[in-house]
Amino acid sequence: MDREARRLLDEYRQNEADPVENALFDDLAAGELTRLDFLQRGTVLGLSATTLGAALGALGHAPLALGATSHVGQAGGRLRVGIIPAPVGDLEPHLFKDHGRLVTGSICGEFLTKSRQNGTLAPELAVSWKRNADATQWAFNLRRGVKFANGKPFTADDVVATFNRLTDPNGGSEALSAFKGVLSPGGAKKVGDYTVVFTLEAPNANFPYLTSSTTYQAIILPSNYTLGSFAKGRQTTGPFNLVSYTPGVGARFERNAQWWGGRALLDGVDVTYYSEDAAAVAGLLGGQIDMMSQISFTSGKALFKSPKVQIFSAPSAGHRQISMLTSTVAANKALKDRRVRQAIALSLDRPQLVKQLFNGFAEVGNDGGPLSPSIHVVADKSVPARKQDLVQAKKLLAQAGYPRGFKETLTAPIFQEIPQLAQIVSASVKKIGIEMPLNLITYTAYYAGTYSGGATGRGTNPWLNSPIDITDWAHRAVPNVVLTSAFVTGGPWNAAAYSNKKVDGLIKSFNGAVAIKDQKKYIAQIMRILQNDTPVIFPYFFKWVLAGSTRVKGFQADALGMLFLGKTSVR
Amino acid sequence: MSGRWSTQRPDAPQTGAQIYRFLLKRLGYALITLFILSVLVFASASLLPGDIGRNILGGLASERDVAIFNHNAGVDRPIVVQYLDWISGFVRGDLGTSLQYNVPVSSLLGPAFINSLKLAAVAFVLVVPLSILGGLVAGLRRGSLTDRAITITGISFTAIPEFVTAIVLILVLGLWLGWLPVSATAPEGSNVATQIEYLLLPSFALVLILFGYIARITRASVIESVDADYTRTAYLKGLTSRQVVGGHVLRNSLLPTIAVVATQVGYLIGGLLVIEKLFNYNGIGLRIYTAAQNKDYTMLQSGVLLVGVVYLVATLVADVLYSVLNPRIRYGSAE
Repeated sequence: MDREARRLLDEYRQNEADPVENALFDDLAAGELTRLDFLQRGTVLGLSATTLGAALGALGHAPLALGATSHVGQAGGRLRVGIIPAPVGDLEPHLFKDHGRLVTGSICGEFLTKSRQNGTLAPELAVSWKRNADATQWAFNLRRGVKFANGKPFTADDVVATFNRLTDPNGGSEALSAFKGVLSPGGAKKVGDYTVVFTLEAPNANFPYLTSSTTYQAIILPSNYTLGSFAKGRQTTGPFNLVSYTPGVGARFERNAQWWGGRALLDGVDVTYYSEDAAAVAGLLGGQIDMMSQISFTSGKALFKSPKVQIFSAPSAGHRQISMLTSTVAANKALKDRRVRQAIALSLDRPQLVKQLFNGFAEVGNDGGPLSPSIHVVADKSVPARKQDLVQAKKLLAQAGYPRGFKETLTAPIFQEIPQLAQIVSASVKKIGIEMPLNLITYTAYYAGTYSGGATGRGTNPWLNSPIDITDWAHRAVPNVVLTSAFVTGGPWNAAAYSNKKVDGLIKSFNGAVAIKDQKKYIAQIMRILQNDTPVIFPYFFKWVLAGSTRVKGFQADALGMLFLGKTSVR
Repeated sequence: MSGRWSTQRPDAPQTGAQIYRFLLKRLGYALITLFILSVLVFASASLLPGDIGRNILGGLASERDVAIFNHNAGVDRPIVVQYLDWISGFVRGDLGTSLQYNVPVSSLLGPAFINSLKLAAVAFVLVVPLSILGGLVAGLRRGSLTDRAITITGISFTAIPEFVTAIVLILVLGLWLGWLPVSATAPEGSNVATQIEYLLLPSFALVLILFGYIARITRASVIESVDADYTRTAYLKGLTSRQVVGGHVLRNSLLPTIAVVATQVGYLIGGLLVIEKLFNYNGIGLRIYTAAQNKDYTMLQSGVLLVGVVYLVATLVADVLYSVLNPRIRYGSAE
């Protein structure tokens, strides 16, 4: 045990720590938290690196190394990146909702905090943060000496303006999926040039995550930013400046000489947008690009075998949801029965799915909600895994009154591996007598239509109105947003039309719980109820996988596929 | 000679007025066709199901935002007003603003169109002489092993889907042998030679696709010309084979080839979606495809109409060339 660390920890516990923080140290000491669990939670609570390091040293754990990327390369050269697919729509941060845009923005943009590959939070434009006792207010101290590429110094005014735009209900902000019900316009207040206080609508112990790179719209822009000027460049604080952008074709970034993080190793980054996986794969193998922003296992097999290519991956909570309408007039009568939904879930051979669709770059899901075992500290790993059991599935169908099965169409978007997943689901349920023809539609069509009105009040879009469908969900460092939007009664993305008052209450309690023990307690109950009710099947949580040439060094993959290239080199 | 032109008057006198009348008539037809095309393009894009504002902003946008978007985009006006506004803008070179990217359509379609022209030019320069030569050799050696080899190879490549041809070329010439770049877009600031180098692989794919078709037409015309009375007469006059082929056979057999090539110009500029996707080339085909996918109606309408203009101009040029090479046509048409 490290004496100096013990002294620092004791000093902090006596003078500064609140009960929640003390409970965190106790849990680590008692072995109830792993080292990583402790770091994830500690960084969200805003514990400084000194305190975290002192606690680890004092309690006999490995010293602090917050996933820093090693600097192995030499300065110079340009990185040629292929992004698939191209940005859809305006390159306007608060409107970001697709891969092309968020990746492009990540090369130059920065956030208050940064979500690391291991799930911990790191300071970025904020250097520290602290909450009040019930987590309804969070104060962020900002980094000094930062300048935007246009020369404007970074201050609290920029943070307030950015968050007002992100939370404006009339501005089309896509960040409302994270901030609705959490933060209103005017909720961020400047209390000094370098301090901002966020006053929340309800307690939220995970709020710092919402200010991080996982809310990819939350790039901090200057207070005098005018809409439409992001694509013209020089509006960000990151290691590279956007200097040219041609929609659908590419973008060019140059090193930001005044970056607060030091001198980026690369001279610049040249982005080429691709519409076809095969073209990007050929581009990487043929040496015309150095990196592909994402790869699929169906079209990217050649990359795994090539000696010229290295594969980067990051654990992620990204997943697919197979939602079954549990109520509303559009629902299939059979699917309203919990036993039928359980039977469908039991028909899937999940380890085989992971192997077949992801070549092992995924982990099996367990139908207990959007809780990734390797990402979410609060996930209850004691919930029994749901395994394929065709005998039990048939028994459940018979008990529900469908011994010979039934027929229902499975709707799914043509996106990444989803069509193959749909085919496997259809083939799996056939083994228990359910006929499930497929309705595979374009990604745009899947989300098209209205989201309110009509007979069900759920509009006309296929996603919320198909009796059974498959939806793509991106990585979230904490499960709050997905739980609230997809499992609370009336949630905007509740594709199963699921309604369970007990679950509603538990989710509300979870969102407000500050202590990790309390969060785990609520999540354990939520997971068990959701697994039993099975409104949604979670077949797997996949890793983010991308590929680069072997000359790329110092790069670490991000769970959302964002490209943080400040320490990357090609020499 | 065959009776293909039997309704026309080979003995009619040539005058400037007749040529002028012929060209005017062709131009008139082209403009009428273009007008009909513009109405069809506009109507088909405008009448697609769904609210434009809703499609662009997504399902979660408020009704108010959708209404504001539609008003700003001008799609809440009567459809005739919208059409007249669009078509008058198109004629003036103002193609409107892209709904998807919120930038002028011309700033996206312009470079894409130029790129398409570049690729079409390289492919054209390769495929036309090669196909004519292939067709000529096959026609002159009718029934020989050479004829069969050229014909069967050409037809085989034409029958293979273009994505297969393109992928095989990428694999063999681009990745295995490493002779040519696998993307068609040269790095920014490249000189002409480098740009051509980058365009070679997609152009080879187009050569394989079009060679069989053009060569077959040329071959048939060559055979017809070889059998014609004037060829026999030329031989009887004592001309050498080279003189007969160059001065009579080739010149006469080029007529149908020109018609076929003209129709392919439109395809080479606006119809190369698969090639553009596989070689990641920012051409007009890919722009139109992306616009259709993302319901960017302003870009879609202008893109399709632009390709329509290309088709009509190519056909018009072919008509003029045809009439220059064969006076009987212009008199027949001008009547």
